[in-house]
Amino acid sequence: MPDLREVPDEPPPFLGTWRRVYVGILIYLVVIITVFYLFTRAYR
Amino acid sequence: MRPADWIVLIASLVSIVAYGLYRSRGSNTVDRYLLAGRSMPWYAMALSIMATQASAITFISTTGQSYVDGMRFVQAYFGLPLAMVVICATVVPVFHRTKVYTAYEYLEKRFDGKTRTLASVIFLCQRGLSAGLTIYAPAIVLSIILGWPERVTTLMMGATVVTYTVIGGIKAVTWSDVQQMCIIFLGLVIALVTVIVLLPSSVSFGDAVYLAGAAGRLNAVTTDFSWNDRFNIWSGLLGSTFLFLSYFGCDQSQVQRYLTGRSIAQSRLSLLFNAVAKIPMQFFILFIGAMVFVFYLFIQPPVLFQHAELSRIQGMSDFQPMQAQYNQAFEHRRQVALALAEAHHAGDSAAESRHVSEYRSAQKEIDDARERASRLVESTGGEKGFSDTNYIFLSFVTRYLPTGIVGLVIAVIFAATMSASSGEINSLATVTVVDLYKRYVRRGAEDHHYLMASRWATLFWGVYAVTFAGWGKKLGSLIVAVNVVGSLFYGSLLGCFVLAFAFPRVRGTATFIGMLAGEVVIFATFFYGNIGYLWFNVIGCVVVVATALLITAATSSTLTSSK
Repeated sequence: MPDLREVPDEPPPFLGTWRRVYVGILIYLVVIITVFYLFTRAYR
Repeated sequence: MRPADWIVLIASLVSIVAYGLYRSRGSNTVDRYLLAGRSMPWYAMALSIMATQASAITFISTTGQSYVDGMRFVQAYFGLPLAMVVICATVVPVFHRTKVYTAYEYLEKRFDGKTRTLASVIFLCQRGLSAGLTIYAPAIVLSIILGWPERVTTLMMGATVVTYTVIGGIKAVTWSDVQQMCIIFLGLVIALVTVIVLLPSSVSFGDAVYLAGAAGRLNAVTTDFSWNDRFNIWSGLLGSTFLFLSYFGCDQSQVQRYLTGRSIAQSRLSLLFNAVAKIPMQFFILFIGAMVFVFYLFIQPPVLFQHAELSRIQGMSDFQPMQAQYNQAFEHRRQVALALAEAHHAGDSAAESRHVSEYRSAQKEIDDARERASRLVESTGGEKGFSDTNYIFLSFVTRYLPTGIVGLVIAVIFAATMSASSGEINSLATVTVVDLYKRYVRRGAEDHHYLMASRWATLFWGVYAVTFAGWGKKLGSLIVAVNVVGSLFYGSLLGCFVLAFAFPRVRGTATFIGMLAGEVVIFATFFYGNIGYLWFNVIGCVVVVATALLITAATSSTLTSSK
């Protein structure tokens, strides 16, 4: 593997850790697909 | 185009270029010219990523797509948030820490020179093909709609892009993208509001949404699975995840945007912004197309929106009965649409159900008439596989939008073309200089030499894009094919990066052979199979990884037994 120079990894500006931000994005995806699904059914 | 439209268009273009060049002052080293000295804030990178990805044809085509096929195209973006999370967690920190200029430079650090070179050449082939078409595709639509010669539109867009990209480098590209995205957002919002305002006074916004849904134009999620169906939730979640992993993880035109970030966190935020904003944005654009469909329920549209071809076939004997049938079908659909909206208001579900089936059968008659007109175009010497989907939105804009707004929407098309094109030219130049010139032609030269080489390479790719766009007419129906051809290369590139990040035991030669095997299988599937193009990315990636792992396993067992 190549040498990895030291570059500081800052925390995200919200939710405390990057892991929580990623989980938030995945929850957002589930919500948006659900909303689109309900939208499709409502106007089918 | 009236004088006010011209003023809006020219003011928009001049301000984009001037602002981009103003912000790019001091790009006098290779690091600043190609990576903005790694100083960009997340919001500028985020909008630049979005602008680079959204070409003009996205806006022209996407609205037309929902007019004819509904909103299910939005599902092609469902994989984006998944891909962004994976890239932020794995790729971004490694690229930042290894201080690379290109994604392929990392491959030499991880594998060897030949793998880096193969990946660079695949990128140059694939992105080089699309560079000319990024300019040509909207140019031909604008030429037909506005009556300008193709050469004029191509040269106008090409010259503007080349000027600020050569002079200002990536800073000019990024800050121009920011402004272009602002103009695009503004233009889209105004276009939607205007469509809704133009609806007949008896039709409310709620009625418009109801009528679009009853005609199947609001089908944002479709759960039926089919291998050759391009857009459903399954191909969206799986196929497009692979596509976006390749696009944002291995395509230099995107990687270069977030390599300019001043920290890992800033780069991650720029990608996560896209993960959140892109799907609603596509939904919004598709919704505009659905509202244009509703507008044309009450104002008769031409049977074909491509007026040059329409004029050509209008005098033919087959056309008149077709037009008469189309007129009748339109009037029938208009009356049924009004009756349906009224029944919906009154809550009369029996009448509603009756009118819905009548409304859909009238829509089918209209679709049939449009299909017959398209076949007439083809059978009388027109383009093979003729489709006028790309002309629907711009035809609507130039006919019905008020003065000033037309200029703004045309500026949106120009802005989208320039942002996508500048990103491509800039990344092509970077790979040419960093991965090929600096490695094989001139090693160890001074920084100023590589800066000048980067400017010349940018100029070369800019001129190439404009020249290639000039040949676009001769390529004819290849335009659609070339878009699909892009996905023929992404799977292999992605497989290569998956091996680099997830399988530390795999070495360069196994990866190199795996990539070649991946390309062979993808091309065989393309020529002899019948599946949607999003799946090529999955197949290519799996073949590359599986082949490299098999070779690694075989080599390890041979070494073990020889010991």
